[in-house]
Amino acid sequence: MTGVVAGPGPFAVAAESLVERVFGAVDAVKARLLDVLTTGPTHREHLQSNDLAELRPGLIEVLADHREIVVGMGMIVAPGLLPNERRRLEWWQYAPGREQPSALQVDLNPDSLGFYDYDAAEWFSVPRRSGRRHIVGPYVDAHGTDRYLLTFTAPVEVDGTFLGVIGADVPVSRFERRLLGTWGESAVEVTIINTHGRVVMSNCAHALSGDLVSDIDPDGSTVRVDLPDVPWHVRVVDRSAGLPIPPV
Amino acid sequence: MSTAKTSVCSPVGTSCGIARGMTGRLGATAGIRRQRGPQVSCYDRSEVEVPAPIGAGRQAVFAPLDDGSGRSEAVVRRLGSAIALGLIADGEQLPAEAELATSLGVATVTLREALSDLRRRGLVETRRGRAGGSFVRLSEPALSALSRSRVRELGSADLRELGEFHAAVAGTAARLAAERASGHEIGRLSATLDRFEQAPTTAGRRRVEGRYFIEVAAAAQSVRLTRQEIELQSELAELQLFPSHTAGWAKVALERYRAVVDAIGTRDGALARRLTEEWIGTRTLGMIEVHLALMAGADPAQQVDGVPDVLEGGTLG
Repeated sequence: MTGVVAGPGPFAVAAESLVERVFGAVDAVKARLLDVLTTGPTHREHLQSNDLAELRPGLIEVLADHREIVVGMGMIVAPGLLPNERRRLEWWQYAPGREQPSALQVDLNPDSLGFYDYDAAEWFSVPRRSGRRHIVGPYVDAHGTDRYLLTFTAPVEVDGTFLGVIGADVPVSRFERRLLGTWGESAVEVTIINTHGRVVMSNCAHALSGDLVSDIDPDGSTVRVDLPDVPWHVRVVDRSAGLPIPPV
Repeated sequence: MSTAKTSVCSPVGTSCGIARGMTGRLGATAGIRRQRGPQVSCYDRSEVEVPAPIGAGRQAVFAPLDDGSGRSEAVVRRLGSAIALGLIADGEQLPAEAELATSLGVATVTLREALSDLRRRGLVETRRGRAGGSFVRLSEPALSALSRSRVRELGSADLRELGEFHAAVAGTAARLAAERASGHEIGRLSATLDRFEQAPTTAGRRRVEGRYFIEVAAAAQSVRLTRQEIELQSELAELQLFPSHTAGWAKVALERYRAVVDAIGTRDGALARRLTEEWIGTRTLGMIEVHLALMAGADPAQQVDGVPDVLEGGTLG
């Protein structure tokens, strides 16, 4: 049986469309925030705690509109920006077993075992540094949501001031389920890999979400394509050749 | 993140287990006023309706006691370990007595007994008047004495089993982290150990060490191991302020943890696991020796302040 091996193209397109759906939610919240900042009753030069309270209904609405893929959304404020709060999250999520979204509550005391050290988190530090959108994960969100997540974030900058990031959480399992359904049955092994060499998801059992894979392609049987404006690439190996992706 | 934790991990016999029904109890902590400087987030509740930031670890502090005994000693242990871990900050005001009793699931009279015990130990201070209430005080000698009494109270088999269970969780996490930790995560682990080295106080060292174990479990890409490790750290906090974080132990612990992170970096999962299990085993043995000495009526300060016998006995090669 001669297999015509499909390239990564169709798989990448499906992944891209799901990614853009999530970033669409991020952009929508960002637009709502800019509305709040520019159309409020009084013009404010700086972000204030009130602005986040005003953002809340819009944020929850966007979250609800994307519920099929996004489990939580919100804004994480640049430390030191708000006058009364050194750190601040405005994050809402669908907690298991609850119909309505609830606010995520984290420990922001740096001297605590449970400190949620968001300044150091990649989903915060990378967009702050690069000024561009970013996807982190799969990762365990310890001290936060306690979930295994992909977190999509984009920086918010107004008049040259970095205000923080807006983000959306997607459970790894949900992302995988949706994309496997779209990919359908396939004669090739398809793997999405992030910049750390970590498997985001794949359709083969020996390269599961969270595994690290090597970039080595000894016999040139691997075809890879980068996803545009996303720190991921899609790799396709012809399964009939019996060449699993080598472990690290 | 109260609810996810609530529904997935119900507490089975852990002294500082993860909360049952915590969502209904957030009010208990929402009223807590922070007393410290700018490093602690402070919510102005007139501006926002969201409860004060809590986090799963903090929520567990105010969850119902699940040992069923309703004893004031259990309340003292719970609050003591929370103070040691910084889950309740130094200077923070505790919720009102009735509120706290309800959230912990104990009678008000039991809670009063516990608060009076904590006051006597120097871990809680009560101020009268309009701005009055019960405030937490982070006193290392008091915490050390508290964990000493807990080490004495538990049986040697209890201590051994707790150590073995921790070794199972942390050892597996270290092995998986060697397979799965990204370079970024390994760098974070090293930075955490730098903070461990620089921590100025015993309690500070204890907290950073707890974070190290939790970070290894997260780097293993396992939500379950991470949750388990967080629970274990709360439980161990009752015991381990003493003796394992005094200077002699900390130096050896740091060496061991550096070796584990090196093994994770070289992708040697078997070594990372073995080193982790051996060190936890050594420390558990040290704790049991202290327990036995306390039972025999010895002055524990002898074993505590110097380099412990178990480390000098050549077990670490």
